[in-house]
Formats: sequence, C-alpha cells, structure tokens
Amino acid sequence: MLDAGRHPNIKIMAYSEVEDAKGEAGNFKVKIRKKARYVNENICNACGECIEKCPKKAPDSFDMGLRDRKAIYIYFAQGIPAVATIDKDVCTFFLKGRCKLCEKICKKGAIDYEQKDEIVELDVGAVVIATGLEMFDPSHLTQYGYKRLKNIITGLEYERLINATGPTGGHLLRPSDKKLAKKVAYIQCVGSRDLNNCNYCSSVCCMYAIKDAMLAREHDSESDSYIFHTDFRNVGKWFQKYERRGKDEYGINYIRGRVAEITEDEEQNPVVWYEDTIERKVKSLKVDMVVLSTAAKPSSDAEKLSKMFGYELDENGFVRKNLPYPSDTTVPGIFACGFSQGPMDIPESVAAASAAADRVMETLAGLKLKKRA
Amino acid sequence: MNIEKIIDDTKAYFCIECGICTGSCPISRIDSNFSPRLMVENLLLGEEDDVIRSKKLWSCLTCKACSSRCPASVDFNQFIMRSRIEAKLLGENGTCTHAGTLKAMMELQTTEFFRKSKEWIPENFKVTDRGKFYYFVGCLPFFNIIFKDINVKSIDIAVSALKIFNFFGIEPVISENERCCGHDHYWIGEFDVFKTLAEYNLKTINNSGAEVVFFTCPEGYNMFKEVYPLYFGKLDFECVYLPNFVNEKLRDGDFSFLETEDKVTYQDPCRLGRFMGIYEEPRNLIQNIPGIVFKDMPRNRANSLCCGSSNWINCTSVNKLIQVERLKEAENTGAETLITGCPKCEIHLNCALFDRDNNYNIRIKDITTLIAEKLGGK
Repeated sequence: MLDAGRHPNIKIMAYSEVEDAKGEAGNFKVKIRKKARYVNENICNACGECIEKCPKKAPDSFDMGLRDRKAIYIYFAQGIPAVATIDKDVCTFFLKGRCKLCEKICKKGAIDYEQKDEIVELDVGAVVIATGLEMFDPSHLTQYGYKRLKNIITGLEYERLINATGPTGGHLLRPSDKKLAKKVAYIQCVGSRDLNNCNYCSSVCCMYAIKDAMLAREHDSESDSYIFHTDFRNVGKWFQKYERRGKDEYGINYIRGRVAEITEDEEQNPVVWYEDTIERKVKSLKVDMVVLSTAAKPSSDAEKLSKMFGYELDENGFVRKNLPYPSDTTVPGIFACGFSQGPMDIPESVAAASAAADRVMETLAGLKLKKRA
Repeated sequence: MNIEKIIDDTKAYFCIECGICTGSCPISRIDSNFSPRLMVENLLLGEEDDVIRSKKLWSCLTCKACSSRCPASVDFNQFIMRSRIEAKLLGENGTCTHAGTLKAMMELQTTEFFRKSKEWIPENFKVTDRGKFYYFVGCLPFFNIIFKDINVKSIDIAVSALKIFNFFGIEPVISENERCCGHDHYWIGEFDVFKTLAEYNLKTINNSGAEVVFFTCPEGYNMFKEVYPLYFGKLDFECVYLPNFVNEKLRDGDFSFLETEDKVTYQDPCRLGRFMGIYEEPRNLIQNIPGIVFKDMPRNRANSLCCGSSNWINCTSVNKLIQVERLKEAENTGAETLITGCPKCEIHLNCALFDRDNNYNIRIKDITTLIAEKLGGK
C-alpha cells in the first residue's frame, strides 16, 4: 500500500466515490465525488495534536466499534494518505456551530470548515473493480446470540482484540467483564455454505480461525481453543500442514460438527451446544468467549457500481468473470480482481490483481496499435 | 418402497452431515440414540430398515427445530412423515399415548358421526348455524374430558373465544358436523384418515357460508392454511388465528385491556412459530395488558423449545424431561404464568406440572383465555 502511495505514476483518491461512468474501452469518462475532509490534505502532516484535544467521541468503525475515536480522526494508522478527517455527523462545530478547537490547535492551519465535496472528472482507458468484501451480519441467526449475548464476537472483531494496536492492546479481553478469555470457541460457516444465507464457501475462514487460535496461544500459553467445523477447506499450498501444526504445536481442538445454538450461564459464559459427529453425541461446552467465523459478502455498493459501469454480477452478487479471461468483466475495458469476483484469500487476490493489471496493459497497448495502423 | 422419492422430495441428498439438526433436536439432547442426522444418513446409504423399521422413527416431535436451522434446507419434517407412511405399510406403528384414546376418538370421526359439539356452549353466548364467520372449535371439547385429571380445562379456550367474538359483535358459526383437523394422523403417516377428516371439514365449512374461519389452535390453523391447500387446492375462505384478529383490533384502537397484576412469559408453539412465523402478535397482546410484567425465556421465537410431546405418540420420560427443562426455564424468568398459544402445549406442560416430584410456582394459561379475561372497554 505504501509503495503504491509513493509511486510517481499512481494517484490514490481515498475518501472518494465513483458517481457516474460513461464510454468504452480506451475512452471512459468517470465522475468521482471527492468527499470533503474539512482538512487540507496537502497541509496536514498527521501529527495528531487535533485528535488528542478534540472533545467529541464516536464509535471507531475501524475497530468495529470496540472503542471510541474522536470527531476528528485518522481512519487507521497505516492509511493512505495519512491525513485527518472531520466526521461532520459528530463534530460539535458542524452540529452546534461552536468549538473550532482543532482549528486553534493546528499549527499548520490545515483545518478548513468551508471545504466542499469536489467533483472530479477523469478520462481513463480502463477500469479495475476491486471493491472487496463486507462481513455477513449474523444477528438474525438468533441461535448464535450475536449482539444479544455479550461474549459472542465476529472474526473481524477478534482480529481487532488480538491486534497490538487494537482497543485492548492485543490482550484477549472479553466484552462482558474485560477478563482475559482463556477458553475460546470458533464457529465456522456462520452464514457460509448455507442455502438460506450465503450459498457459497467464503474460503478464508478456516485458515483465519486456525491463525486466530494460534495467536491466542502465542499471547497466552494457557489459552485453549476449539474450532467447530463441518470440514476444513484448507486448499492452498501448505495449508493442510498449517492445520496439522495448529493441532500438534498449538493444541487447538478441532471438533467436527456445526454448532446448533449458544446459550449463556449466570456468569455470562457462552455455552456451545453441538453434535460431535465423530462420537455421535450431543454435547455442550462452556467457554469464555465465542468467535463467529462469519461469511464474507460482496461489498454493499457492488450492485450500484455494476449498474453504473454496465457489467454483470453473478447470482451471489460478485462480479461475473468473462471466462476464459478470469480478470475480465462482461464489459470490455473493465476488469476486476480480489474478493469482488468471489471468495479468495490474499495470495489469490494478489495474483488476480496482477492479472487484471496485465489485462489493462494488454488492452490499452492493443488499442494504441490499432490507432496507429 | 418409495425411498428414492422421499430422498428426492425432501432434498435429503443435500445433507452435508454437519450435525446442526441433531445438535438442535430436543430429543437427541436427552436420548443420544435418536439422531436426525443419522436417520438421513442411513436412508441415503440405503440402510432403510434402520429408519423405517426403527422405533426411533416415532419419537420425532416434528417441531422443526432441526430443519429451521439446516444449512442444506433438508425438510426433515416431511422426511419423517413420509417415512412413517412407508413404515405403516410394513405394519410398523408408534406407541399411542393415553392408551390410544385420542387416536380412537379422531378415527371415529371419519364415520358418519354426530358430535353433539354444542353442549359446552354456555347459555348467554350468541352463536349461529350459518354465517360469514366460522369458529373451528377442533378437539377442545374432547380434551376437556380426557385431561380433566391433570387439571386442564381445555374448553375454557373455546368459551373464551366465544366471549371474544361476542365482544366484537360477531356471532360465529359452530357446527356439529365439524371434525378433528387431521393434524395428528397427517404427521403419523395415516394419510387416509387425514384426508377423510379434511374432506368432512371442508364440506361443513363450505356449507355454512363462511368467508372467514377462526382458530384458537395453531395445529388446526396450520393444517387449514398450509396443508389443506396442498391436497384440496385454494380454500374458499380465509383462515385467521383468533389472537391475531384481536391484535389487529388492538392496533386499530378498537378496545383496551383491563388492568391486572401478573408476571408472565410466553411459550412459542412450534406450529405457530417455526411453522407459521407468528412470533410478535401474541407478545404484543400480552405486553399491551396494563400491569403485566413480561419477560421472554432465553430460548424464544425460532429458538423456542418444544413443549415436549406431539401427535399423541411415543411419550416417554425423555419427553417429560424436555417439559421439566422448559418449565424450569420459564420459572427462571421470574414468571408466575406461562402463556402459550396452543391447547396442546397447555396439556403437555400441565402434565409435567402435575408431577408431584417437582414443586413449581408457575401456572399455564392459553393466550385466548388470557385475552378474554382482560377484555376491557371499547
């Protein structure tokens, strides 16, 4: 990401949205709304003094709402460009017309309350769709108690908890009482491979659950992990070896069986009910915390964007591949990569991105040659 | 045998053997020999006898806890029902509860039979023989006699319904030619009995000139609304669960409830909840009665635990343990009354309540009875 940010030929337009697109391969006109940050990107050096002093708080969406950020904030530490943004919906000045503390504090004078959204029109030869994924909201699977029972979190929330820069400084403190969670259950296929929800395998959850359980043991030698799965789908190179390592070196308990429901005891410990399909017995297991490996879905804007550009989506809302060219969409000159095309992990996404870039070059060079001829 | 057809129609071949069904099953949780997953698996593997000839086939409550969570959308209820039809052909049977009284009572109704089903109506209520509104009383007068000894007065529900009808100015049709809805025979695989009963009912109702048929029993409601049309086409009348009708009147501000003092919780009947998706209307009614403190049990709505017994077959200590578990769960909410929307839940839970080994501080009441008691001014 940093490399792309520094590259002389790459211009990153963060905090911006495509509003309209017209044209054809070699000649697209794309209208982009560059949203106002109320901070001058060219002046701000992300020193963070404004953030420290800002009196207004809001849930931090990058940290899955597990802690608060300020009304003026930097979305996340490694983000590009490294500049502050004012959340207009929360900021006291925008709501009540007074405060302006950040303006007083900023020595460089980067704060600009008058800034307006900017419409930028770009002439581009080709487009790559890389809108990624969105997590499936498991609240309506009421048997798992997400949002109803406190110590049940999603895989993405877990990632923030175990992360050293996260809200708990990397300690696995469970939400109800902030005590260290020593016994954690991971529940696979929450929404995935389910004809009533996401009718496909999200493909990354098996590996991240194993990784999460390994991390827990690395942070705390007494940690105990249980991964409830239908079957492991570790299809990448050495992935199966990784699964074995999880069991042999990290003591992870793999239990075959989809969890039926989760209840809670008096101390808010989740109790997981399941059939151990190997032993053919219905059992329950009391744990400190449950992590739901929720399905990954296409981003919520995927449909809007597909209509704007005119390319097709498949039955699950992912960008349809124009086979035999897996990087192509159904519209010439528009390509796609990563999770926007369907479930894939990081190495696959990197490969797909390179392939899409390659197809862009091929197309543009081809058009150039044609023009010359 | 039609095994392949069963597998085909219930999509059993989609099964991924994940075990979510067995983990969800209230029977399996107590009796590890019973497993919906293994039944599906055995049938798929061609081990028919392990399913069709097994006594376990008759233990399923058809409560839909399994298939409502099944990621492969296998219709286990149909799987059980269809397998039972095959089993019946081979002479297999479930063990009838109450010495077969209820089954016999329902089977007798497949003949020309005079129900004398108006004797229970108290004098001051207005009912009619022909008209726009029909009240399907169902088995309540029979239950009233059979379950007297466990202190269940099922007929109170029917009398309450009449009170509600008259309160809203409705004189419902009550027919002596009415039959049992056929629910139990349908689910135990005696299709012919179900069909005969249903034909009687449709003839009776169509002859009464009814446009709307009201139900106070979710089993009858489900049979008429979802099962009858599968075999007899679209019905000529509308089916309404009476508490839902009252809920609409409440929403329109047509009446108010009387003040009362009670702590209550609510049992979702499987036919009403997981079958028909009716979860909020009964709760809305209860919570609108001033002075009532309402608290849901931890397992509620789609996750509700079955009342423990169904179709008057294979009721054992396993079923009793389910009921005990549910009653404890209800008591733990601090409730003094457990409201349910189904006369059978009322019977089954009262059966466990009647057990002298346990001391309970909770009573069971049907929602129709509760509504009738608390109807206030218009």
